[in-house]
Amino acid sequence: MSASVTASTSLPDNPRPSRLRRFSHLRTYTLNLSSSLPSGQRSYIHSLSSRIPWRSSNSYSISPTANSTAIPCPEAEADHPPLSRYTSAPAPSYGFGIELNSQVSSTDSAVSTPSSSTPSNEVPRTPNSMARLRSASAVHRPPPRTLERATTNSQESTPSPEPGAAQENVIGPTSAPADGQVTPSKSETKATIRFFPYQDSLQSSRPSLPFIPVARTLPSESCVIRVGRYSERDGVPHPNPTEPSDAPVGFKSKVVSRKHCEFLYVNGQWHIKDVGSSSGTFLNHMRLSQPNMVSRLYSIKDGDIVQLGIDFRGGEEMIFRCVRIRIECNRSWQQQPNEFNKNTESLIKNLGKGETADYSGCRECSICLGSVLRPYQCLFMAACAHVWHYKCISRLLHSPDYPMFQCPNCRAFTDLNAEVDDSNDSEEKREKESTEDRTSNDSGEQLETEGPSVVETNNSMEGPPEQLGDLAEEENLVNNVESLHLQDDQHTDDTRSSASPAPNSSTDDLVRSATINIPGWQPTQPLSVPSGRQSQLRTDTPVRSETSDDNPLTPRNDSGPLAFDGRAGMP
Amino acid sequence: MGSIKRISKELTELTQSPPEGITVELVDESNVYEWRVIMDGPEGSPFHDGKFLVKLSLPTEYPFKPPTVSFATKIYHPNVTNDDKGSMCLGMLRADEWKPSSKIAAVLQFARQLLAEPMPDDAVEGRIAEQYKNDRMRYEEIAREWTRKHAC
Repeated sequence: MSASVTASTSLPDNPRPSRLRRFSHLRTYTLNLSSSLPSGQRSYIHSLSSRIPWRSSNSYSISPTANSTAIPCPEAEADHPPLSRYTSAPAPSYGFGIELNSQVSSTDSAVSTPSSSTPSNEVPRTPNSMARLRSASAVHRPPPRTLERATTNSQESTPSPEPGAAQENVIGPTSAPADGQVTPSKSETKATIRFFPYQDSLQSSRPSLPFIPVARTLPSESCVIRVGRYSERDGVPHPNPTEPSDAPVGFKSKVVSRKHCEFLYVNGQWHIKDVGSSSGTFLNHMRLSQPNMVSRLYSIKDGDIVQLGIDFRGGEEMIFRCVRIRIECNRSWQQQPNEFNKNTESLIKNLGKGETADYSGCRECSICLGSVLRPYQCLFMAACAHVWHYKCISRLLHSPDYPMFQCPNCRAFTDLNAEVDDSNDSEEKREKESTEDRTSNDSGEQLETEGPSVVETNNSMEGPPEQLGDLAEEENLVNNVESLHLQDDQHTDDTRSSASPAPNSSTDDLVRSATINIPGWQPTQPLSVPSGRQSQLRTDTPVRSETSDDNPLTPRNDSGPLAFDGRAGMP
Repeated sequence: MGSIKRISKELTELTQSPPEGITVELVDESNVYEWRVIMDGPEGSPFHDGKFLVKLSLPTEYPFKPPTVSFATKIYHPNVTNDDKGSMCLGMLRADEWKPSSKIAAVLQFARQLLAEPMPDDAVEGRIAEQYKNDRMRYEEIAREWTRKHAC
């Protein structure tokens, strides 16, 4: 979900009903868009429709629908001709399918009947659009099966990550369908950036504006991510895109100017530029430019803090609070299966297995320096696959920042409230199932032609999700089993030295994931529990968890992220 | 107290296999939070041959909070305050930089490394930093003199 949506839900003065209205409005809106456009263009709706207002200053008054329907075509065609073919198919279905997927997988029956309940126009929407998207994607899949097969791995990776993780993994997976055909490895280098809310507990007692983490993966390097005040006139507040997108990011705060700052990716480096904000953009407490002046480019790195505006009127009201963003970039390697998290996974797997486990390479808990690799003790493993004793790490878990958890070893952020990846259970089953199942499955043919997005969709929508999933992943499974064995052989040695994930292994792993077909996506990746969890943990958080639960200023969104699917308020 | 366990573990490690030029002991055997560290001036630096008494104190929240390092021996160094506290400015010890996974051994080694290679850009003594950058000869001269005077 886009930050704008997030911010809006977190406003205190936004009573629930109106919020709902807004969402349903958006919903209808999005739906209109998706139905009114050929699916080939749909993937650009978000970026384009919202981009337009930025570009032409006078287009603010234009109704969003007019915007997006009128403009996308030329631009989409002109800007990304090569992309459109591949992105178009998977992309639309991810938009909603994914979100659904992770959360709704249990409620399959309702989901598969789009028109069942219309009164609220909330619930049916998601399935509805999903179904449509799905069929669309089926139609639009490039017919050649060989191609399909080739991309399957990478594409599968896209659907799997649910709302939040998707954003993350967009880099490898999503981009793969786009240009992966030509250069599989190149797709891994897509520029991805994430924005986290940052609470500066040391310098300011006042919380900054809460928002759901935002992620963007640039469709091409020349794209710019514009950041400004959220405005309904600015076009569609699109969901956190799972496909590459340069959709603007909006924050619902009065101290954020409409055009506040921009994030650019230049020469392999992320930069920020103030585009004439009135209350300033601050990079690590340094103001980038005078009021209403455009600043030069400043390079940013992982962990930098960007503040938009300054608290106004003491920031008592949410809408007057500044926005503090922690930047996360160049972390994508961590979300991929890598040497470190695969080792950890296999080590953990052996826990409690008595003699078969090898404790000679005991890994230590970085808090107490004791070994974590003994059975019968409570452990906590973060999404980055670092492991501690629960007792040792618990005070970092239950911090004021909860549910955001920062790994003390590698500083990666984890969203502890993220949806659980329950596909893990099926993974287990899958492991036991033999690979022959693949051929016996009747819907195999269809599955493959429809493409991975459908795989995921099916997972959440239809009765036998696992079968379908199995099919698509057989290949991955095999590969994973193989690679895991490799890992197993080395793990005792490796782990001794791998107290922290070695960043330099990233490229290696990325490459491998491209070549050995280790899928870039985690949840359904059969053997990689840590990475699977990671992607799950890194999902969007329901707004209410952004700040401590007892903060009276923050309204609760008890419906979770699905609220943005238009399901808010549904029992 | 989980911290005591970890601290004693680190202490044992450090006393059994001390890093080069560093010896540690407790100020008071009953209190694991206060350490006395003898740091030899690293070779090639103006502090060579000096023995610096460094006090390392650990917060009770250790390892969640960083330890503090201060030089009890006067030292002419851009990153050590030139007062009776002698507190040392180590990037990794700042509250927002600190990681619980950092060990005391690493802190001490880093501190010693800083003696060999001051970081004038992070200086707490601006004047010394200035001199270090612009008049290295003079800086080394004074540092050697101070080392002779205070640390031998």
